Amino acid sequence: MKRIAWVAGFIVLAALPFFLGSYHNDVYRKLLLWITLALGYNFLFGICGQVAFSHFAFYGIGAYSVVILLFQFNLPLPVAIVLGVVICAGIALVVAIPATRLEGFYLALVTLALAQLFIVVLNEGGNVTGGTGGIANYRLPPIFGWRIAGPPYTLVIVGLLAATFALLWRLDHSWFGRACRALRDNPEAAAAMGVDVARTKVIVFTLTSALAGIAGMVYAFVDNTVNPPIFGLDNAFLILFMVIVGGAGRHAGAVIGATLLFLLPFWLSPLVGHHHQLIFGVLVVAAILAQPKGLIGLWDRFSK
Amino acid sequence: MQDLLELAVGATASGCIYGLIALAYLLMIRPTGIINFAVGEWAMVASFGGFVFLTKYEWPYPLGMAVVVAFMMGVGWATERIAVRPLVEKGASLLAPILALLGVLVVTREVISVSFPPDPLPVPFPFGIGRLELFGIGASYQNVFIIVVTLTVFAGTWFFFEQTLWGKSFEAVSLNRRAAALMGINLPRVTAVSFAGGAGAAGLAGLLVSPNISAHYLMGVPLAIQGFTALVIGGVGRVEGALLGGLLLAFAEQLTARYAPIPSGYTQGVPLLFLMIFLLVRPTGLLRARA
Repeated sequence: MKRIAWVAGFIVLAALPFFLGSYHNDVYRKLLLWITLALGYNFLFGICGQVAFSHFAFYGIGAYSVVILLFQFNLPLPVAIVLGVVICAGIALVVAIPATRLEGFYLALVTLALAQLFIVVLNEGGNVTGGTGGIANYRLPPIFGWRIAGPPYTLVIVGLLAATFALLWRLDHSWFGRACRALRDNPEAAAAMGVDVARTKVIVFTLTSALAGIAGMVYAFVDNTVNPPIFGLDNAFLILFMVIVGGAGRHAGAVIGATLLFLLPFWLSPLVGHHHQLIFGVLVVAAILAQPKGLIGLWDRFSK
Repeated sequence: MQDLLELAVGATASGCIYGLIALAYLLMIRPTGIINFAVGEWAMVASFGGFVFLTKYEWPYPLGMAVVVAFMMGVGWATERIAVRPLVEKGASLLAPILALLGVLVVTREVISVSFPPDPLPVPFPFGIGRLELFGIGASYQNVFIIVVTLTVFAGTWFFFEQTLWGKSFEAVSLNRRAAALMGINLPRVTAVSFAGGAGAAGLAGLLVSPNISAHYLMGVPLAIQGFTALVIGGVGRVEGALLGGLLLAFAEQLTARYAPIPSGYTQGVPLLFLMIFLLVRPTGLLRARA
Protein backbone atom coordinates (compact mmCIF):
# COMPACT_ATOMS: atom_id res chain seq x y z
CA MET A 1 0.00 0.00 0.00
CA LYS A 2 2.75 2.40 1.02
CA ARG A 3 4.75 1.52 -2.07
CA ILE A 4 1.76 2.36 -4.27
CA ALA A 5 1.53 5.80 -2.62
CA TRP A 6 5.23 6.45 -3.33
CA VAL A 7 4.87 5.37 -6.97
CA ALA A 8 1.73 7.51 -7.37
CA GLY A 9 3.58 10.51 -5.90
CA PHE A 10 6.46 9.97 -8.31
CA ILE A 11 4.08 9.77 -11.26
CA VAL A 12 2.40 13.05 -10.25
CA LEU A 13 5.79 14.79 -9.94
CA ALA A 14 6.89 13.33 -13.28
CA ALA A 15 3.67 14.23 -15.12
CA LEU A 16 3.48 17.79 -13.80
CA PRO A 17 6.10 19.39 -16.14
CA PHE A 18 4.08 18.38 -19.22
CA PHE A 19 1.19 20.55 -17.99
CA LEU A 20 3.30 23.58 -17.10
CA GLY A 21 4.43 26.43 -19.33
CA SER A 22 8.10 27.18 -19.82
CA TYR A 23 8.27 29.74 -17.00
CA HIS A 24 6.62 27.44 -14.49
CA ASN A 25 8.77 24.57 -15.73
CA ASP A 26 11.81 26.68 -14.85
CA VAL A 27 10.47 27.45 -11.35
CA TYR A 28 9.54 23.79 -10.88
CA ARG A 29 13.02 22.60 -11.91
CA LYS A 30 14.71 24.92 -9.43
CA LEU A 31 12.32 23.88 -6.69
CA LEU A 32 13.14 20.22 -7.34
CA LEU A 33 16.87 20.97 -7.28
CA TRP A 34 16.56 22.87 -3.97
CA ILE A 35 14.66 19.94 -2.47
CA THR A 36 17.37 17.56 -3.70
CA LEU A 37 20.05 19.76 -2.11
CA ALA A 38 18.09 20.13 1.13
CA LEU A 39 17.63 16.34 1.40
CA GLY A 40 21.37 15.82 1.07
CA TYR A 41 22.18 18.61 3.50
CA ASN A 42 19.64 17.28 5.95
CA PHE A 43 21.48 13.95 5.96
CA LEU A 44 24.76 15.72 6.73
CA PHE A 45 23.46 18.32 9.20
CA GLY A 46 20.18 16.95 10.52
CA ILE A 47 20.91 13.24 10.71
CA CYS A 48 24.69 13.17 11.18
CA GLY A 49 24.98 16.50 13.05
CA GLN A 50 27.78 17.99 10.90
CA VAL A 51 27.55 21.70 10.07
CA ALA A 52 29.19 22.55 6.75
CA PHE A 53 28.97 25.63 4.56
CA SER A 54 30.34 23.90 1.49
CA HIS A 55 27.20 22.13 0.30
CA PHE A 56 26.32 24.87 -2.14
CA ALA A 57 29.96 25.23 -3.19
CA PHE A 58 29.95 21.55 -4.19
CA TYR A 59 26.79 22.22 -6.19
CA GLY A 60 28.85 24.89 -7.96
CA ILE A 61 31.91 22.66 -8.31
CA GLY A 62 29.73 20.04 -9.97
CA ALA A 63 28.16 22.57 -12.34
CA TYR A 64 31.43 24.23 -13.28
CA SER A 65 33.40 21.00 -13.65
CA VAL A 66 30.90 19.41 -16.02
CA VAL A 67 30.73 22.58 -18.15
CA ILE A 68 34.52 23.04 -18.22
CA LEU A 69 35.18 19.37 -18.97
CA LEU A 70 32.58 19.33 -21.76
CA PHE A 71 33.26 22.62 -23.48
CA GLN A 72 36.85 23.59 -22.59
CA PHE A 73 38.36 20.11 -22.77
CA ASN A 74 35.78 18.70 -25.22
CA LEU A 75 35.31 15.43 -23.34
CA PRO A 76 32.28 13.22 -24.05
CA LEU A 77 29.32 13.64 -21.67
CA PRO A 78 29.62 10.34 -19.72
CA VAL A 79 33.34 10.93 -19.10
CA ALA A 80 32.65 14.50 -17.98
CA ILE A 81 29.96 13.36 -15.53
CA VAL A 82 32.14 10.62 -14.02
CA LEU A 83 35.15 12.96 -13.76
CA GLY A 84 32.93 15.65 -12.20
CA VAL A 85 31.77 13.26 -9.48
CA VAL A 86 35.39 12.20 -8.90
CA ILE A 87 36.44 15.86 -8.54
CA CYS A 88 33.68 16.60 -6.00
CA ALA A 89 34.35 13.46 -3.97
CA GLY A 90 38.11 14.08 -4.12
CA ILE A 91 37.86 17.65 -2.81
CA ALA A 92 35.39 16.52 -0.13
CA LEU A 93 37.78 13.79 1.02
CA VAL A 94 40.76 16.16 1.18
CA VAL A 95 38.77 18.53 3.39
CA ALA A 96 36.91 15.96 5.47
CA ILE A 97 39.69 13.57 6.46
CA PRO A 98 41.65 16.10 8.54
CA ALA A 99 38.64 18.21 9.55
CA THR A 100 36.57 15.42 11.06
CA ARG A 101 39.41 14.35 13.35
CA LEU A 102 38.77 17.61 15.21
CA GLU A 103 35.85 18.22 17.50
CA GLY A 104 32.93 20.56 17.25
CA PHE A 105 32.58 23.37 14.82
CA TYR A 106 35.83 22.91 12.85
CA LEU A 107 34.23 21.34 9.78
CA ALA A 108 31.94 24.37 9.51
CA LEU A 109 34.92 26.75 9.57
CA VAL A 110 37.06 24.81 7.10
CA THR A 111 34.14 24.50 4.71
CA LEU A 112 33.31 28.20 5.09
CA ALA A 113 36.85 28.97 3.94
CA LEU A 114 36.52 26.41 1.13
CA ALA A 115 33.27 27.99 -0.09
CA GLN A 116 34.86 31.45 -0.14
CA LEU A 117 38.01 30.14 -1.80
CA PHE A 118 35.89 28.54 -4.51
CA ILE A 119 34.37 31.94 -5.35
CA VAL A 120 37.84 33.54 -5.49
CA VAL A 121 39.02 30.81 -7.87
CA LEU A 122 35.92 31.28 -10.05
CA ASN A 123 36.44 35.04 -10.26
CA GLU A 124 40.15 34.76 -11.03
CA GLY A 125 40.07 31.66 -13.21
CA GLY A 126 40.49 33.60 -16.46
CA ASN A 127 39.41 31.74 -19.58
CA VAL A 128 38.91 28.42 -17.82
CA THR A 129 36.11 29.58 -15.51
CA GLY A 130 35.14 32.66 -17.51
CA GLY A 131 35.98 35.02 -14.62
CA THR A 132 33.25 37.14 -13.05
CA GLY A 133 30.96 36.66 -16.06
CA GLY A 134 31.07 32.88 -15.84
CA ILE A 135 30.36 30.64 -18.81
CA ALA A 136 27.23 30.91 -20.92
CA ASN A 137 25.88 30.00 -24.36
CA TYR A 138 26.37 26.26 -24.21
CA ARG A 139 23.85 23.49 -24.62
CA LEU A 140 23.51 19.95 -23.37
CA PRO A 141 25.18 17.69 -25.95
CA PRO A 142 22.86 15.17 -27.64
CA ILE A 143 22.54 11.75 -26.06
CA PHE A 144 22.15 9.00 -28.71
CA GLY A 145 21.26 11.72 -31.18
CA TRP A 146 18.52 13.15 -28.95
CA ARG A 147 18.81 16.61 -27.45
CA ILE A 148 16.92 16.64 -24.16
CA ALA A 149 15.20 19.97 -23.52
CA GLY A 150 11.93 21.33 -22.16
CA PRO A 151 9.67 19.10 -20.03
CA PRO A 152 11.75 15.93 -20.64
CA TYR A 153 14.71 17.67 -19.01
CA THR A 154 12.48 18.45 -16.02
CA LEU A 155 11.83 14.71 -15.96
CA VAL A 156 15.58 14.14 -15.59
CA ILE A 157 15.49 16.34 -12.47
CA VAL A 158 12.49 14.45 -11.06
CA GLY A 159 14.53 11.28 -11.58
CA LEU A 160 17.51 12.85 -9.79
CA LEU A 161 15.32 13.84 -6.84
CA ALA A 162 13.74 10.40 -6.64
CA ALA A 163 17.13 8.65 -6.82
CA THR A 164 18.66 10.95 -4.19
CA PHE A 165 15.68 10.47 -1.90
CA ALA A 166 15.65 6.69 -2.35
CA LEU A 167 19.37 6.45 -1.60
CA LEU A 168 19.21 8.66 1.50
CA TRP A 169 16.04 6.94 2.74
CA ARG A 170 17.63 3.49 2.43
CA LEU A 171 20.81 4.71 4.14
CA ASP A 172 18.81 6.36 6.92
CA HIS A 173 16.92 3.13 7.58
CA SER A 174 20.03 0.97 7.63
CA TRP A 175 22.61 0.46 10.38
CA PHE A 176 24.55 3.33 8.81
CA GLY A 177 21.72 5.83 9.43
CA ARG A 178 21.44 4.67 13.03
CA ALA A 179 25.20 5.06 13.45
CA CYS A 180 24.92 8.62 12.11
CA ARG A 181 22.13 9.52 14.52
CA ALA A 182 24.02 7.94 17.38
CA LEU A 183 27.16 9.96 16.72
CA ARG A 184 25.11 13.14 16.34
CA ASP A 185 23.50 12.67 19.74
CA ASN A 186 26.55 11.51 21.62
CA PRO A 187 29.86 10.82 19.85
CA GLU A 188 31.50 9.19 22.87
CA ALA A 189 28.60 6.79 23.37
CA ALA A 190 28.54 6.01 19.64
CA ALA A 191 32.27 5.23 19.69
CA ALA A 192 31.75 2.99 22.71
CA MET A 193 29.03 1.14 20.78
CA GLY A 194 31.54 0.36 18.05
CA VAL A 195 30.80 3.16 15.56
CA ASP A 196 33.93 4.41 13.81
CA VAL A 197 33.11 8.10 14.37
CA ALA A 198 35.74 9.68 12.10
CA ARG A 199 35.11 7.28 9.23
CA THR A 200 31.34 7.69 9.41
CA LYS A 201 31.68 11.48 9.32
CA VAL A 202 34.05 11.34 6.33
CA ILE A 203 31.74 8.99 4.42
CA VAL A 204 28.66 11.15 5.06
CA PHE A 205 30.43 14.39 4.13
CA THR A 206 31.89 12.90 0.95
CA LEU A 207 28.63 11.25 -0.07
CA THR A 208 26.44 14.31 0.47
CA SER A 209 29.00 16.58 -1.21
CA ALA A 210 29.10 14.28 -4.23
CA LEU A 211 25.28 14.28 -4.33
CA ALA A 212 25.32 18.09 -4.27
CA GLY A 213 27.87 17.99 -7.10
CA ILE A 214 25.62 15.74 -9.21
CA ALA A 215 22.68 18.09 -8.60
CA GLY A 216 24.96 20.93 -9.73
CA MET A 217 25.78 19.08 -12.98
CA VAL A 218 22.08 18.82 -13.69
CA TYR A 219 21.61 22.48 -12.76
CA ALA A 220 24.29 23.52 -15.28
CA PHE A 221 21.80 22.80 -18.09
CA VAL A 222 18.78 24.43 -16.44
CA ASP A 223 19.86 28.04 -17.00
CA ASN A 224 22.63 27.11 -19.46
CA THR A 225 24.91 29.54 -17.67
CA VAL A 226 27.17 29.27 -14.64
CA ASN A 227 28.57 32.33 -12.88
CA PRO A 228 30.12 33.08 -9.47
CA PRO A 229 27.23 34.99 -7.78
CA ILE A 230 24.92 31.94 -8.04
CA PHE A 231 27.21 29.89 -5.82
CA GLY A 232 27.94 32.52 -3.15
CA LEU A 233 27.67 32.31 0.61
CA ASP A 234 24.07 33.57 0.72
CA ASN A 235 22.81 30.32 -0.72
CA ALA A 236 25.03 28.28 1.59
CA PHE A 237 23.22 29.95 4.49
CA LEU A 238 19.87 29.50 2.79
CA ILE A 239 20.27 25.73 2.54
CA LEU A 240 21.07 25.59 6.27
CA PHE A 241 18.04 27.76 7.03
CA MET A 242 15.78 25.54 4.91
CA VAL A 243 16.70 22.48 6.93
CA ILE A 244 16.40 24.28 10.30
CA VAL A 245 13.01 25.85 9.49
CA GLY A 246 11.60 22.64 8.03
CA GLY A 247 12.92 20.43 10.80
CA ALA A 248 16.46 19.05 10.99
CA GLY A 249 16.82 15.30 10.89
CA ARG A 250 13.58 14.58 9.03
CA HIS A 251 13.35 14.06 5.27
CA ALA A 252 9.85 15.58 5.24
CA GLY A 253 11.25 18.57 7.15
CA ALA A 254 13.88 19.17 4.48
CA VAL A 255 11.21 18.99 1.75
CA ILE A 256 8.90 21.40 3.59
CA GLY A 257 11.70 23.84 4.46
CA ALA A 258 13.10 23.89 0.93
CA THR A 259 9.66 24.31 -0.62
CA LEU A 260 8.64 27.08 1.78
CA LEU A 261 11.85 29.14 1.62
CA PHE A 262 12.11 28.69 -2.16
CA LEU A 263 8.52 29.78 -2.83
CA LEU A 264 8.30 32.46 -0.11
CA PRO A 265 10.20 35.13 -2.11
CA PHE A 266 7.70 34.77 -4.98
CA TRP A 267 4.80 35.60 -2.64
CA LEU A 268 6.69 38.13 -0.56
CA SER A 269 8.27 40.18 -3.33
CA PRO A 270 5.19 42.42 -3.82
CA LEU A 271 5.30 43.18 -0.09
CA VAL A 272 8.99 43.42 0.80
CA GLY A 273 10.82 43.54 -2.53
CA HIS A 274 14.22 41.88 -2.32
CA HIS A 275 14.34 41.87 1.46
CA HIS A 276 12.89 38.40 1.98
CA GLN A 277 16.23 37.43 3.60
CA LEU A 278 15.18 39.51 6.61
CA ILE A 279 12.13 37.30 7.04
CA PHE A 280 14.23 34.14 6.60
CA GLY A 281 16.57 35.32 9.36
CA VAL A 282 13.68 36.02 11.72
CA LEU A 283 12.15 32.62 10.88
CA VAL A 284 15.41 30.83 11.69
CA VAL A 285 15.92 32.59 15.02
CA ALA A 286 12.28 31.96 15.92
CA ALA A 287 12.53 28.29 14.92
CA ILE A 288 15.66 27.70 17.01
CA LEU A 289 14.25 29.52 20.02
CA ALA A 290 10.65 28.32 19.96
CA GLN A 291 10.46 25.21 17.81
CA PRO A 292 13.83 23.41 17.47
CA LYS A 293 12.11 20.55 15.62
CA GLY A 294 10.99 22.94 12.88
CA LEU A 295 7.71 23.03 11.01
CA ILE A 296 7.52 19.25 10.89
CA GLY A 297 7.65 19.29 14.70
CA LEU A 298 4.67 21.66 14.73
CA TRP A 299 2.82 19.32 12.38
CA ASP A 300 3.53 16.36 14.65
CA ARG A 301 2.15 18.23 17.63
CA PHE A 302 -1.11 19.16 15.90
CA SER A 303 -1.71 15.87 14.15
CA LYS A 304 -1.58 13.93 17.43
CA MET B 1 63.62 49.50 2.08
CA GLN B 2 61.48 52.55 2.79
CA ASP B 3 58.82 50.98 0.61
CA LEU B 4 58.91 47.88 2.78
CA LEU B 5 58.71 49.91 6.00
CA GLU B 6 55.68 51.86 4.81
CA LEU B 7 54.08 48.59 3.78
CA ALA B 8 54.79 47.38 7.31
CA VAL B 9 52.92 50.36 8.81
CA GLY B 10 49.90 49.70 6.61
CA ALA B 11 50.01 45.99 7.41
CA THR B 12 50.26 46.72 11.14
CA ALA B 13 47.15 48.90 10.93
CA SER B 14 45.07 46.29 9.13
CA GLY B 15 46.49 43.66 11.47
CA CYS B 16 45.17 45.73 14.37
CA ILE B 17 41.68 45.72 12.83
CA TYR B 18 41.80 41.93 12.42
CA GLY B 19 43.12 41.69 15.97
CA LEU B 20 40.18 43.67 17.35
CA ILE B 21 37.70 41.41 15.56
CA ALA B 22 39.60 38.35 16.80
CA LEU B 23 39.41 39.83 20.31
CA ALA B 24 35.65 40.15 19.92
CA TYR B 25 35.39 36.43 19.08
CA LEU B 26 37.77 35.56 21.89
CA LEU B 27 35.85 37.49 24.55
CA MET B 28 32.73 35.44 23.76
CA ILE B 29 34.38 32.06 23.07
CA ARG B 30 36.40 31.97 26.28
CA PRO B 31 33.57 31.92 28.81
CA THR B 32 30.82 30.37 26.65
CA GLY B 33 32.38 28.34 23.82
CA ILE B 34 30.07 30.14 21.40
CA ILE B 35 31.53 31.18 18.03
CA ASN B 36 29.60 34.28 17.05
CA PHE B 37 29.93 35.07 13.35
CA ALA B 38 27.76 38.14 13.79
CA VAL B 39 30.86 40.10 14.93
CA GLY B 40 31.46 41.12 11.32
CA GLU B 41 27.92 42.51 11.16
CA TRP B 42 28.49 44.33 14.45
CA ALA B 43 31.54 46.03 12.92
CA MET B 44 29.32 46.92 9.96
CA VAL B 45 26.59 48.36 12.21
CA ALA B 46 29.18 50.47 14.04
CA SER B 47 30.49 51.92 10.79
CA PHE B 48 26.92 52.92 9.91
CA GLY B 49 26.73 54.44 13.39
CA GLY B 50 29.85 56.40 12.43
CA PHE B 51 28.08 57.58 9.28
CA VAL B 52 24.97 58.68 11.22
CA PHE B 53 26.65 60.47 14.12
CA LEU B 54 29.88 61.74 12.54
CA THR B 55 28.96 62.40 8.90
CA LYS B 56 25.27 63.22 9.13
CA TYR B 57 24.98 64.96 12.51
CA GLU B 58 28.66 66.02 12.58
CA TRP B 59 29.15 65.30 16.25
CA PRO B 60 32.67 65.78 17.63
CA TYR B 61 34.68 62.61 17.00
CA PRO B 62 35.33 61.50 20.63
CA LEU B 63 31.64 61.92 21.54
CA GLY B 64 30.42 60.12 18.41
CA MET B 65 32.94 57.33 18.96
CA ALA B 66 31.88 56.89 22.60
CA VAL B 67 28.19 56.83 21.67
CA VAL B 68 28.75 54.27 18.90
CA VAL B 69 30.81 51.95 21.10
CA ALA B 70 28.28 52.25 23.94
CA PHE B 71 25.45 51.54 21.50
CA MET B 72 27.28 48.47 20.21
CA MET B 73 27.75 47.17 23.75
CA GLY B 74 23.99 47.54 24.15
CA VAL B 75 23.48 45.59 20.93
CA GLY B 76 25.76 42.82 22.19
CA TRP B 77 23.96 42.70 25.51
CA ALA B 78 20.55 42.57 23.81
CA THR B 79 21.72 39.85 21.41
CA GLU B 80 22.80 37.71 24.32
CA ARG B 81 19.45 38.27 26.04
CA ILE B 82 17.34 37.45 22.98
CA ALA B 83 19.23 34.77 21.06
CA VAL B 84 21.62 33.11 23.52
CA ARG B 85 20.34 33.10 27.10
CA PRO B 86 16.98 31.36 26.45
CA LEU B 87 18.86 28.51 24.71
CA VAL B 88 21.46 28.20 27.46
CA GLU B 89 18.72 28.14 30.10
CA LYS B 90 16.86 25.44 28.15
CA GLY B 91 20.02 23.36 28.14
CA ALA B 92 20.20 23.24 24.33
CA SER B 93 23.43 22.04 22.72
CA LEU B 94 26.21 24.53 22.01
CA LEU B 95 25.32 24.40 18.32
CA ALA B 96 21.87 25.96 18.89
CA PRO B 97 23.09 29.46 19.92
CA ILE B 98 25.75 29.38 17.16
CA LEU B 99 23.04 28.73 14.55
CA ALA B 100 20.69 31.27 16.15
CA LEU B 101 23.47 33.87 15.89
CA LEU B 102 23.81 33.06 12.17
CA GLY B 103 20.14 34.00 11.91
CA VAL B 104 20.86 37.19 13.86
CA LEU B 105 23.70 37.90 11.39
CA VAL B 106 21.29 37.81 8.45
CA VAL B 107 18.66 39.86 10.30
CA THR B 108 21.24 42.52 11.25
CA ARG B 109 22.55 42.81 7.71
CA GLU B 110 19.09 43.02 6.19
CA VAL B 111 17.87 45.61 8.70
CA ILE B 112 20.81 47.83 7.73
CA SER B 113 20.28 47.20 4.01
CA VAL B 114 16.59 48.17 4.37
CA SER B 115 17.35 51.29 6.41
CA PHE B 116 20.19 52.84 4.38
CA PRO B 117 20.85 53.49 0.68
CA PRO B 118 22.82 50.67 -1.00
CA ASP B 119 25.86 52.77 -1.95
CA PRO B 120 28.96 52.93 0.27
CA LEU B 121 28.54 55.79 2.77
CA PRO B 122 31.44 58.02 3.90
CA VAL B 123 32.71 58.09 7.47
CA PRO B 124 35.11 60.92 8.37
CA PHE B 125 38.74 60.58 9.43
CA PRO B 126 39.20 61.80 13.02
CA PHE B 127 42.39 63.71 12.13
CA GLY B 128 41.85 64.41 8.44
CA ILE B 129 43.81 62.65 5.70
CA GLY B 130 47.28 63.96 6.48
CA ARG B 131 50.46 61.92 6.84
CA LEU B 132 52.84 61.73 9.73
CA GLU B 133 56.60 61.64 8.91
CA LEU B 134 58.56 59.74 11.52
CA PHE B 135 62.18 58.65 11.02
CA GLY B 136 61.70 59.06 7.30
CA ILE B 137 58.70 56.71 7.20
CA GLY B 138 55.36 58.13 6.15
CA ALA B 139 52.24 56.88 7.94
CA SER B 140 48.74 58.21 7.51
CA TYR B 141 47.10 59.72 10.60
CA GLN B 142 44.38 57.10 10.41
CA ASN B 143 46.86 54.20 10.51
CA VAL B 144 48.62 55.69 13.53
CA PHE B 145 45.25 56.25 15.20
CA ILE B 146 44.19 52.64 14.53
CA ILE B 147 47.44 51.29 15.98
CA VAL B 148 47.28 53.49 19.10
CA VAL B 149 43.62 52.70 19.84
CA THR B 150 44.11 48.97 19.31
CA LEU B 151 47.17 48.82 21.57
CA THR B 152 45.21 50.70 24.25
CA VAL B 153 42.30 48.29 23.99
CA PHE B 154 44.56 45.23 24.17
CA ALA B 155 46.49 46.67 27.12
CA GLY B 156 43.19 47.38 28.89
CA THR B 157 41.87 43.88 28.18
CA TRP B 158 45.11 42.31 29.35
CA PHE B 159 44.95 44.36 32.55
CA PHE B 160 41.31 43.38 33.04
CA PHE B 161 42.02 39.65 32.79
CA GLU B 162 45.28 39.62 34.72
CA GLN B 163 44.75 42.21 37.44
CA THR B 164 41.07 42.53 38.32
CA LEU B 165 38.78 40.22 40.23
CA TRP B 166 36.19 40.51 37.47
CA GLY B 167 38.74 39.34 34.92
CA LYS B 168 39.72 36.43 37.13
CA SER B 169 36.09 35.36 37.34
CA PHE B 170 35.99 35.32 33.52
CA GLU B 171 39.03 33.06 33.48
CA ALA B 172 37.46 30.82 36.08
CA VAL B 173 34.34 30.46 33.93
CA SER B 174 36.37 29.61 30.85
CA LEU B 175 38.31 26.96 32.76
CA ASN B 176 35.34 25.24 34.36
CA ARG B 177 31.79 26.56 34.21
CA ARG B 178 30.37 24.30 36.89
CA ALA B 179 33.10 24.92 39.40
CA ALA B 180 32.93 28.66 38.75
CA ALA B 181 29.18 28.66 39.34
CA LEU B 182 29.66 26.71 42.56
CA MET B 183 32.20 29.29 43.70
CA GLY B 184 29.48 31.92 43.48
CA ILE B 185 30.30 33.45 40.10
CA ASN B 186 27.21 34.74 38.34
CA LEU B 187 27.36 32.86 35.01
CA PRO B 188 24.59 34.77 33.18
CA ARG B 189 26.21 38.07 34.08
CA VAL B 190 29.63 36.92 32.84
CA THR B 191 28.02 35.81 29.56
CA ALA B 192 26.16 39.11 29.16
CA VAL B 193 29.32 41.14 29.83
CA SER B 194 31.34 39.01 27.42
CA PHE B 195 28.82 39.68 24.63
CA ALA B 196 28.73 43.39 25.42
CA GLY B 197 32.53 43.52 25.39
CA GLY B 198 32.73 41.51 22.19
CA ALA B 199 30.28 43.83 20.46
CA GLY B 200 32.24 46.84 21.76
CA ALA B 201 35.54 45.50 20.35
CA ALA B 202 33.93 44.58 17.01
CA GLY B 203 32.22 47.98 16.85
CA LEU B 204 35.50 49.76 17.46
CA ALA B 205 37.09 47.77 14.62
CA GLY B 206 34.24 48.76 12.30
CA LEU B 207 34.48 52.41 13.25
CA LEU B 208 38.26 52.48 12.77
CA VAL B 209 38.24 50.74 9.40
CA SER B 210 35.25 52.58 7.92
CA PRO B 211 36.98 55.87 6.90
CA ASN B 212 39.23 53.82 4.60
CA ILE B 213 36.66 51.48 3.08
CA SER B 214 33.33 53.37 3.66
CA ALA B 215 30.27 51.94 5.39
CA HIS B 216 28.58 49.26 3.28
CA TYR B 217 26.08 46.61 4.31
CA LEU B 218 28.13 43.78 2.80
CA MET B 219 31.38 44.64 4.61
CA GLY B 220 30.65 42.32 7.55
CA VAL B 221 31.34 38.79 6.29
CA PRO B 222 34.88 39.47 4.96
CA LEU B 223 35.78 41.12 8.29
CA ALA B 224 34.26 38.19 10.17
CA ILE B 225 36.38 35.72 8.19
CA GLN B 226 39.61 37.71 8.48
CA GLY B 227 39.08 38.21 12.21
CA PHE B 228 38.35 34.55 12.67
CA THR B 229 41.48 33.59 10.73
CA ALA B 230 43.48 35.87 13.02
CA LEU B 231 41.94 34.13 16.02
CA VAL B 232 42.73 30.68 14.66
CA ILE B 233 46.36 31.67 13.97
CA GLY B 234 46.81 33.20 17.40
CA GLY B 235 44.79 30.65 19.33
CA VAL B 236 41.95 31.24 21.77
CA GLY B 237 44.16 30.58 24.78
CA ARG B 238 45.53 34.08 25.30
CA VAL B 239 44.43 37.64 24.65
CA GLU B 240 47.70 38.66 22.98
CA GLY B 241 47.24 35.76 20.56
CA ALA B 242 44.40 37.65 18.86
CA LEU B 243 46.65 40.63 18.10
CA LEU B 244 49.57 38.45 17.04
CA GLY B 245 47.31 36.45 14.73
CA GLY B 246 45.90 39.63 13.21
CA LEU B 247 49.36 41.04 12.55
CA LEU B 248 50.67 37.79 11.03
CA LEU B 249 47.64 37.55 8.76
CA ALA B 250 47.89 41.17 7.61
CA PHE B 251 51.62 40.89 6.87
CA ALA B 252 51.06 37.65 4.94
CA GLU B 253 48.30 39.32 2.93
CA GLN B 254 50.20 42.50 2.14
CA LEU B 255 53.49 40.78 1.35
CA THR B 256 51.86 38.32 -1.07
CA ALA B 257 49.91 41.17 -2.65
CA ARG B 258 53.13 43.11 -3.22
CA TYR B 259 55.75 40.48 -3.96
CA ALA B 260 54.18 37.13 -4.86
CA PRO B 261 53.97 36.43 -8.60
CA ILE B 262 50.24 35.62 -8.60
CA PRO B 263 47.32 37.58 -10.08
CA SER B 264 46.16 40.28 -7.66
CA GLY B 265 42.67 38.81 -7.29
CA TYR B 266 44.09 35.63 -5.81
CA THR B 267 45.45 37.55 -2.82
CA GLN B 268 41.86 37.55 -1.47
CA GLY B 269 42.40 33.81 -1.13
CA VAL B 270 45.42 34.18 1.18
CA PRO B 271 43.46 34.52 4.46
CA LEU B 272 41.20 31.65 3.38
CA LEU B 273 44.15 29.37 2.69
CA PHE B 274 45.69 30.43 6.02
CA LEU B 275 42.43 29.61 7.78
CA MET B 276 42.15 26.17 6.17
CA ILE B 277 45.79 25.27 6.76
CA PHE B 278 45.76 26.37 10.38
CA LEU B 279 42.47 24.64 11.13
CA LEU B 280 43.65 21.43 9.54
CA VAL B 281 47.24 21.41 10.80
CA ARG B 282 47.38 23.42 13.99
CA PRO B 283 43.86 24.10 15.29
CA THR B 284 45.06 25.32 18.68
CA GLY B 285 46.91 28.28 17.22
CA LEU B 286 50.47 29.46 17.75
CA LEU B 287 50.23 30.41 21.41
CA ARG B 288 49.42 27.87 24.09
CA ALA B 289 47.00 28.73 26.87
CA ARG B 290 48.70 29.84 30.04
CA ALA B 291 48.31 27.20 32.70
